[in-house]
Amino acid sequence: MSTKGTRIPERLMITFAGITPAPTQEKGQDLFPTGNWRSIRPVYRDKLPPCNNACGTNEKIQGYLDLVKRGKYLDAYALIKEDMPFPSVTGRVCYHPCEQACNRGKYDEAISIRAVERFLGDLGQSLKQDVVKAGPPNGKKVAIVGSGPAGHSAAYQLARLGYAVTILEKSPKAGGLNRGGIPVWVLPPKILDREIERLVELGVTIKTGVEVGKDITWDDLKKNYDACVLAVGLTEPNSVRAEGENKEGVIYGLPFLRDIGMGTSKVKLGRRVVVIGGGNTAIDCAREALRQGAVEVTMITVEANSDEMPASPEDLHDMLEEGVELRHGRAMTAVLGNGKVEAIQLHPARFAGAINASPINIDRSAAAERFEADNVIIAVGQRASLGWLPDEFKNERGTIKSDKFGRLGNTNFFAAGDVVQLGAGQPLMVVNAVGDGKRVAFNLDKVLRGEPLQPRTVPVDVLFDLNRMNMTYFPHFQRVQQTLLPPTSRKKTSNEVIQGFSQQQAVDEAGRCFSCGTCNACDNCYLVCPEPCIVRGARSNGLYKILVDYCKGCRVCIEECPTGCLEGVPELDFDSGVVRMDTAFAITPGLHGRQAEQLRQLAQQTPKNI
Amino acid sequence: MIYTELTVWTRGIIMDKEGRDIVNSVSAAARLEGKFAQAMENYVDNPDRTNAPTRKYCRVSDRVIENALTYENENPNIVVLVEGTMVKGWDYMRGMPPGGTLIINTHYSPEYMIRFVPGRERLSQLVCVDAAKLADHKWLYYRLGELGLDRLSTEGAAERNKAIAPDIAAPLIAAVVKTTGIVQIETIEPMIANKKAFQAALDELHVMPLNAVAV
Repeated sequence: MSTKGTRIPERLMITFAGITPAPTQEKGQDLFPTGNWRSIRPVYRDKLPPCNNACGTNEKIQGYLDLVKRGKYLDAYALIKEDMPFPSVTGRVCYHPCEQACNRGKYDEAISIRAVERFLGDLGQSLKQDVVKAGPPNGKKVAIVGSGPAGHSAAYQLARLGYAVTILEKSPKAGGLNRGGIPVWVLPPKILDREIERLVELGVTIKTGVEVGKDITWDDLKKNYDACVLAVGLTEPNSVRAEGENKEGVIYGLPFLRDIGMGTSKVKLGRRVVVIGGGNTAIDCAREALRQGAVEVTMITVEANSDEMPASPEDLHDMLEEGVELRHGRAMTAVLGNGKVEAIQLHPARFAGAINASPINIDRSAAAERFEADNVIIAVGQRASLGWLPDEFKNERGTIKSDKFGRLGNTNFFAAGDVVQLGAGQPLMVVNAVGDGKRVAFNLDKVLRGEPLQPRTVPVDVLFDLNRMNMTYFPHFQRVQQTLLPPTSRKKTSNEVIQGFSQQQAVDEAGRCFSCGTCNACDNCYLVCPEPCIVRGARSNGLYKILVDYCKGCRVCIEECPTGCLEGVPELDFDSGVVRMDTAFAITPGLHGRQAEQLRQLAQQTPKNI
Repeated sequence: MIYTELTVWTRGIIMDKEGRDIVNSVSAAARLEGKFAQAMENYVDNPDRTNAPTRKYCRVSDRVIENALTYENENPNIVVLVEGTMVKGWDYMRGMPPGGTLIINTHYSPEYMIRFVPGRERLSQLVCVDAAKLADHKWLYYRLGELGLDRLSTEGAAERNKAIAPDIAAPLIAAVVKTTGIVQIETIEPMIANKKAFQAALDELHVMPLNAVAV
């Protein structure tokens, strides 16, 4: 750069012959603040990764994957525990909407987030003491009705906020759907027991064998507690209204799984079992039937093919691998047999409208099909049992009527989980119930503290578009697969089918994360900046700073940011950053300017003086 | 020294031609009207670098301009900023006599932009024109990867489009001639390639009248 015409400020004058400090020397950049070349300014602005957005309880997934990648397992576990009370459970049972949303799925294969979550959950189980502590007691008592995922989550969050929480559970063992709806070969009981122990360690009282409406009334709840969360779930199985459905050998899906989970099952299955239904519970029932001694298990669904079934594709695959047969486009119209199931009668059927959310049209004019069976398991959804609830809080769907905050009218009663989510139009998952419980706990806290409830209205920028990231930094890597027990042997035992990650596998898998839209301290901006204008202290997420006086807006950092957390904002949107340049490019009287007067007089001078 | 000085501040390489088109067309129009005019570029600015601030000068007078050897305008009556962000960068108002005009290519309003202008008391009007929009500007000037071949030389040797003001210069020229009357609109219009943008700009200038005081 030419320094001709430069007016060097006094403080930068160097006594020896006209040497000005280089930009790399101390105060050198004061002389050449290139910032005023800038038409856009780079700004660090973290976006929400799609996995966090898709998660029912908005776990900070990118955050814990990043910590696992760096070997900070305990920090990662503490982060996951912010939103999720039992990562070891969801690490096994969750249908991982996060993985469906994962941007990596559009690139090669989605991150195995659930497996990493399970790794962290198992790490938490092995700790002598949990990382989470109960909050300072605030003297208020809250009852939680139901100890399923929603109730567990609400109790956990309220205990952390300092409430004295009592869980009232109808069954002899706590756990709700986690215990009574999920087979032991998916979620071993000892894992759930340990998570419930953790809840008790937080100071939560769990009373089992207490049924609301029978052992305790609505008025008791109102009188004895400051507030109450109803997380009773959907406990009553739906019927298919087929002729002879009351015959011996017909059982319902949820009670079938619940009795096995609670250890109170007396069911003896025959050789041939038919499962009616095409959802996740039906799949669990079919696979459980194999483990209970059935040899031929057939699933009958109204859906015309397996793609339409509202079930997890992975579970469906595992079920087919274990030898369960599928029959589509049929509905059971009668159970045949003399007092006991001998066969069932099938007719062609299809949904009248949207799959799984509309009445079924059965073509009774077609020839009936007879299908031999010893047992029928009906798993076509379930409903709530709310006889004890005042009518004003029931809705036409037979579930609890609550506002968008989960609150029942102006009372201190809240509802969470399946009992309010019914009709959401999508398969309900444990993680949704956990999220519900969490949000309701925070809303309850606000109500008891007299603060107004506010809906989440902040616009969230979720990064879905790969073009907003720099994909050249991400080589293709295959997903680390979890080991499965072989299908032939696993269907005879109750051993856990899916195996967990080793430490190395978890780190490898977490390392595949794009960190969509969120700074992960890759140091790229710091290294590529041609001016030394990006600074950081420790190399840590989000601790980078741009010295805007020296940034000339070349966009290199923005282009080279792999995660897309750096973005260019028009310089004129900022009031700050006005730098009137005082250097070579300043409109100071330059060489020609200084000579101007002399040049003007040139014409008047005689030639010899030139 | 009775002449009107026009100084155009522009960005090196990527907007060099725009700045050059403004001073060349104004001075050519002035000559057509029988005036005396000069147009020159400032090589002190070392403009062969992308985005570097670069100045182009024009002088118009009814009499012969005797100053033929000074290549800088010391007292510009009209200043044009071809790129809006430049408003924050330099003291482009330096030397402006009272009653000057500042024209900025921006989509912001003059009421917003006035906060960035140094020495605003010397202005009689601040003019904002959204030239990029009026000229239906297709590429983002700061994306190097999208620069065409015609942007790669300040010498004009490799410019594919040799027309005068085919792009964002046209609305800026319209702003100059309409708000200052330095030359007649009718004289300059035939030279302009992008007549649509030129005409549109005549109706879409945002002018903020100010009371200039002598300093």
